[in-house]
Amino acid sequence: MTAEPGGLGVGASPRRKEDARFLHGRGRFVADITRPGMLEVAFLRSPIAHARLLAVTKPAGQEKRVFTIADLDGIGTIRANSALPGFRVSEQPALAKDKVRHVGEAIAACVAESRAAAEDLAAICVLDYEALPAVSDMRTACSPTAPLLHESWSMNAFLETRRDDDVSGLDAIAAAKVTRTLRTSRQCMAPIEGRGVLAEWDPRLEQMIVTTSTQMPHVTKSGLADCLGLDEGQVRIVSPDVGGGFGYKGILLPEEIVCASLAIRLGRPVRWLEDRFEQLTAANCREHHYVITAWADRAGKLLGVECDAIVDAGAYSSYPFGACLEAAQIGSILPGPYILPLLRCHTVSACTNKPPILPYRGVARTGVCYAMETTLDALARQLGIMPQAIRLANLVPATAMPYRNLVGKVFDSGDYPESLRRAVAAIDVDKIRARQAAGETVGFGLATFCEQGAHGTSVYHAWGIPFVPGFEQAYARLAPDGVLELRVGVHSHGQGLETTLAQVAHEILGIHPDQVRVVHGDTALTPYSTGTWGSRAMVMAGGAVAEACRQLAERVAAIGAALMQVSGADVRVADGKVQRTDTDGFVTIADVARTWYRTPQNLPPGVNKGGLEVTAGYRPDPDTGTHSYACHAVVARVDTETGAVVLEDYVVVEDGGKLVNPMIVDGQVMGGLAQGIGTALYEEMPYDTEGQPLAATLADYLLPGTTDVPDVRLDHMETLSPWTTFGQKGIGESGAIGPPAAIVNAINDALAGLGAEVMDLPASPSRVLAAIQAARAVKA
Amino acid sequence: MSRISISLTVNGERTEVETEPREHLADLLRGRLMLTGTHVGCEHGVCGACTVEIDGVPARSCITYAGSCDGASVRTIEGFGDDTVMAALREAFMQEHALQCGYCTPGMLVAARDIVLRLPEADEARVREELAGNLCRCTGYRGIVRAVLGVLAARRPRSGHV
Ligand code: FES
Ligand code: FES
Repeated sequence: MTAEPGGLGVGASPRRKEDARFLHGRGRFVADITRPGMLEVAFLRSPIAHARLLAVTKPAGQEKRVFTIADLDGIGTIRANSALPGFRVSEQPALAKDKVRHVGEAIAACVAESRAAAEDLAAICVLDYEALPAVSDMRTACSPTAPLLHESWSMNAFLETRRDDDVSGLDAIAAAKVTRTLRTSRQCMAPIEGRGVLAEWDPRLEQMIVTTSTQMPHVTKSGLADCLGLDEGQVRIVSPDVGGGFGYKGILLPEEIVCASLAIRLGRPVRWLEDRFEQLTAANCREHHYVITAWADRAGKLLGVECDAIVDAGAYSSYPFGACLEAAQIGSILPGPYILPLLRCHTVSACTNKPPILPYRGVARTGVCYAMETTLDALARQLGIMPQAIRLANLVPATAMPYRNLVGKVFDSGDYPESLRRAVAAIDVDKIRARQAAGETVGFGLATFCEQGAHGTSVYHAWGIPFVPGFEQAYARLAPDGVLELRVGVHSHGQGLETTLAQVAHEILGIHPDQVRVVHGDTALTPYSTGTWGSRAMVMAGGAVAEACRQLAERVAAIGAALMQVSGADVRVADGKVQRTDTDGFVTIADVARTWYRTPQNLPPGVNKGGLEVTAGYRPDPDTGTHSYACHAVVARVDTETGAVVLEDYVVVEDGGKLVNPMIVDGQVMGGLAQGIGTALYEEMPYDTEGQPLAATLADYLLPGTTDVPDVRLDHMETLSPWTTFGQKGIGESGAIGPPAAIVNAINDALAGLGAEVMDLPASPSRVLAAIQAARAVKA
Repeated sequence: MSRISISLTVNGERTEVETEPREHLADLLRGRLMLTGTHVGCEHGVCGACTVEIDGVPARSCITYAGSCDGASVRTIEGFGDDTVMAALREAFMQEHALQCGYCTPGMLVAARDIVLRLPEADEARVREELAGNLCRCTGYRGIVRAVLGVLAARRPRSGHV
């Protein structure tokens, strides 16, 4: 989908308002911003995964430029609790205290006039520690002999969850049963821009101003105020242009706390810019391990699923989402888009000597979809039916919508089977079968899934995370010249909200998007919001902007009607004007604005004294979340000599409800898909048994490039959500969910003739070859 | 730390600067020369975000020492003025939604302009191969590849018009 001339409102694809600055190199990212007198920080980081910290010897004569936790007394630890029963919360100090728990954990902050000089300082600090055995494997993290990371805990687990449906009778009645042991790799989100923090203390306002690359400025503000012992009015967070988030920037950073604290102590602005090595060892994501069993009847109808899952959550519970967001969701996501009668599921969020995991685009779903969809294909192979047949036998039909599944998730709308049928129809399956018959190792793979997005209070209060999302607010103001200013607390870092929210305003008020300015990324200017995550921005902020514009339209209409000396019932707001419904007469919204600000003598008596500015709140009802869904269909060819996989064709049939901007939606799906392809085939952050990261550059940690991502065929259905303003659904993560499942299913279809099956991600050449060799060994 | 005096031309203007032997060109451009349009993504030569033109050829400014640029002519994203190829690429990038967060974009554009000028007959596979040294984490590359192909096609003499 390319930009289209014509429409500007909801459903149109105008060009993006934000593009021009980036195309001319005028974007402003944290690293582009400096302050007079600014100092740069380099962190001395732990070279070892688990150790007792004995001493940091500062370089002689430079003691005042090196800060350990002992020098920053009074700052609090990061605590991301959860109300889920049995959750163990970690205390994460901003700089290591007594112990280090992962390679890369910050131990001391070194301050100098330049980053290079600060790094020189860090290089000559002497670290004294007593190494402890590292916990590097989530599968043994909870064994009684494992050393404890957090010594007051009884075991290395943040949380265990259980759902205990009785599946003991299924062996007797099932026509097919498969068990698979599967693993997804530990990954890095790897936005091309790293994190960065610039902290400065304003003595006049007694305010800490932190410019930081974050997806959630308001949550960062609250967390930071708490850790610094300041009141919320004393912290302002500015999140300027942000070079990609994907979950990596949805966190309160230890570095934010340290830089802020240093700026107060030193009375000078302080900046830290993350380098790539720091990024690859600062936080990880995914790393799931499954033992999953599924039972089906002869027609492929699922009778039940049993799953034992572990997620390697790393050393600390990150703020605000906590350490159990992945594992604890496995049980609720496993049923996927299917009707599942029985589920038995046990999950562990293991605590290990690795960097903390953060929610990465798709959060839990990518792994769960991989586990469920590859297991379904295994069942289909055992039953001798096609992969589409087993899915059609189980997908929730359109007639059942809205549908509440066995774990209580409510699907709002959609025709799941139709998305599957369309995707399958787009691929010539007979031709693939013919090529297979001719001896080619080519295969066809499917994945169907749904993505809950914009879920709010009713879902998150049960999790009891530090920030349960509530009503989303937007502020709308007409300026004296008639320009509309929208202020929102979500942040746009690629999603194009500066454009799409202007489209929403245009839809309601008819003001040209060029005359709409969207302000985001500054807590001093915008209403409170939990920020941009969970595919929520277009539903929540879009709904709030629509509501604010509607309220503004009422006020504008009342003034406009009075100016034309007609009753309010005889006008409507459209095309940027207040128009009479009986004649062609109108006044422009700009006329109304001018009247309010400059010629108030012409205002009618009884005019709304609130003027032309409105803050409105919005939350869908119910707020259990929208469910977009998709079917991915892949044709993959496997080279059995090298293990290389070529994606010959890739089809996505996606339903995101009303598409506010189809061009941007396609971009989100494509971008997510590239990340999903990375998960499927390339990306892996291995750790050795000592907890040392083995992929510390982008030459080792492989991100998909132009030659790795095919030109996907995207098809859309548009089933409106009955619960949102325009029927739109959250769709930001969908593209990243399906690829590992669909691609590995295609690989396994290609290898079926050899009796080989890939189980672990990424399906790298060495894993593919190992699967082929294992199958040959069994046959031999 | 010893210092080296160099003189180089940046975006058409001659500049004399002192640099440390270890300073890379990206830091010099972004720092003292305040040309922050060139971005830094990895500082080890993989991502391509820092791509600039040195003496007319795209190069990675993160693995180019500033000190080695004495006498060189450097052009950054801020230096293309009304260059028609760059203007066409910018237009096409907008049209094809070839950017999301915009962080990789300046490097992409410099690399793309070189492809358009150097390989007028490039097809999709060639464009993809040529762009393989520029990583984008947001777009999945489709818009970028389409934008470059679109500019290439528009510059070819059309059959029938010959
Ligand atoms: S910053 Fe130069 S190649 Fe990545
Ligand atoms: S647009 Fe974000 S990295 Fe390319």
